[in-house]
Amino acid sequence: MPLTSQPLPFPPLYGRAGFSGFPSPAQDYEPRTLDLNERLIKNPAQTFYLTATGDSMEGWGIFEGDLLVVDRSIPPRLGHILVAMFEEEVLIKRYALYQGTPHLCSAHPHYPPLPLEETDCQLWGVVRAVVHEYLP
Amino acid sequence: MIGLVDANNFYVSCERVFNPALEGKPVGVMSNNDGCVIARSAEMKAMDIPMGAPSFQLEGLRRQGKIHLLSSNYELYGDMSARLAQLLRDACPDVAPYSIDEMFIYLDGFSDAQCQTLGEVVRRRIRRYLGLPVCVGLAPTHTLAKLANHVAKKQSHYQGVCLLTANSPTTAALLKQLPVSDVWGVGRRIAERLAVSGIRTAWQLRECDPKQLRKRFSVVLARTALELRGTSCLEMNALEQPRQRIMTSRSFGKATGVKAELHAALRRHAQRSAEKLRQQKSLTRAVLLFLTTNRHRKDQPQLAPSAMIPLASPSDDTRIILEAVREGLEQMYRPGFQFMKAGVMLLDLVDAQQYQLSLLRPSTKAHPHLMNTVDTINQRMGQDTIRFGMTEAEAPWQLRCAHRSNRYTTCWDELMEAGTHPGAIAAARVKREQQQLARAQRLAQPRA
Repeated sequence: MPLTSQPLPFPPLYGRAGFSGFPSPAQDYEPRTLDLNERLIKNPAQTFYLTATGDSMEGWGIFEGDLLVVDRSIPPRLGHILVAMFEEEVLIKRYALYQGTPHLCSAHPHYPPLPLEETDCQLWGVVRAVVHEYLP
Repeated sequence: MIGLVDANNFYVSCERVFNPALEGKPVGVMSNNDGCVIARSAEMKAMDIPMGAPSFQLEGLRRQGKIHLLSSNYELYGDMSARLAQLLRDACPDVAPYSIDEMFIYLDGFSDAQCQTLGEVVRRRIRRYLGLPVCVGLAPTHTLAKLANHVAKKQSHYQGVCLLTANSPTTAALLKQLPVSDVWGVGRRIAERLAVSGIRTAWQLRECDPKQLRKRFSVVLARTALELRGTSCLEMNALEQPRQRIMTSRSFGKATGVKAELHAALRRHAQRSAEKLRQQKSLTRAVLLFLTTNRHRKDQPQLAPSAMIPLASPSDDTRIILEAVREGLEQMYRPGFQFMKAGVMLLDLVDAQQYQLSLLRPSTKAHPHLMNTVDTINQRMGQDTIRFGMTEAEAPWQLRCAHRSNRYTTCWDELMEAGTHPGAIAAARVKREQQQLARAQRLAQPRA
């Protein structure tokens, strides 16, 4: 059964005239304003936002305070960035092979890969996008 | 087939999604203003802590770290409930929310095997996509679906999905065990009267002559008996269970996207719900509103927004409920959609009299005479004779919620944190505290 895509709760914006009687020249085209939600969120009901804390994922472009767009409906694959419960902690890591076995990997020499075998690790969701804001 | 999807310990489960450390521990959620326990995890039930236990009595256990008590986080629960409904809409032809954590799905034209598979798929998806455990009961009628759900929850070998056909031996065996008072829609008083006639089990009720039941009891009971036989004849709203939740919803004659019209409809439903609330002498703790577009109009944009407004203290005052409606509509309204249906649900009801007895907890039952007068006039002269046109200036929306978890899904400043390595979150917290301390010390120093 395919999941139908849910419309986003944002109304489309149409070109509108200003305050005066001049009609906007764009009015006839009814331009569709680009919606960042549409780009970053494929499954709204299954998507959650999280905040990244710590410096060990900077090598993969995830900085302290970045916004993570996490989709819980994506099956995890090697190479994905995951949010996982690892021994009672919520971690963001890259799911990858290390010495031939699956590990949760950082992008930082101080933090060795965490082996997944024989540990208590549960997937929380797959990171679809990271939003890094340069200005407050 | 009709399915009932019911989340297990919904409030606690929502909290656990964002605070996985609570998994496997006794967790309770408290009412508004942290008065008493309104939701318990299985572990807390096993400790014999009853529903409605006053929070102050549990303070000792909480301090010792033996139990976790949280303030209710209605924004979070409302959002998770909306997501749950959306996942069901993605998979099923028709969905009707029955309460915040119970939804009916309607599967006309599916075979039994297909229904079973769909039930399993839905259960797995909700668990994985939202992190919420649910049970699914499937049967030909609402009443049997409720029973099937109960069985799915209690008997682990069903693995959370139970399908009951009308005439199977399993169904018969279950009905023979089930006390008649446990049948949906059979109240305690009716159960007592039935017992006098020797009807003690659901099976005996099923075997009764509906005509006799109708004559001696009520139409609803006659229909309930038919429902137990597998003949669907009760509307979802007829299955109102007193003292749990009240819902008023209706489809519009003509779809509308006009905010004022939606507001008017919601106000009407709210007034009706408030009247029912006072009739059964309850107070409500939270108001849930919803709107839906016409799902058959595939050419139109679809949206099913909802909003959850907790009340500062339990109330049966129409004016306070109307203020919640106004606030909720403000939150959920989006222009550009044609809405077909609006509904108002009053949740987590509490018995008014019991509540009045406790002096420590203020309730907003400020104008009993006014409300009584309004209800009496409306009952005598017809609905909507007296309606509320204005609302009070400022309702006290400030809740006491010392132990509320973050509003993880509705507030940008309260998102869940993910550490990039073990210890990252704890380290960040220490750093923040140090910075705060340093700032405080700087401020405390006398200026040179």
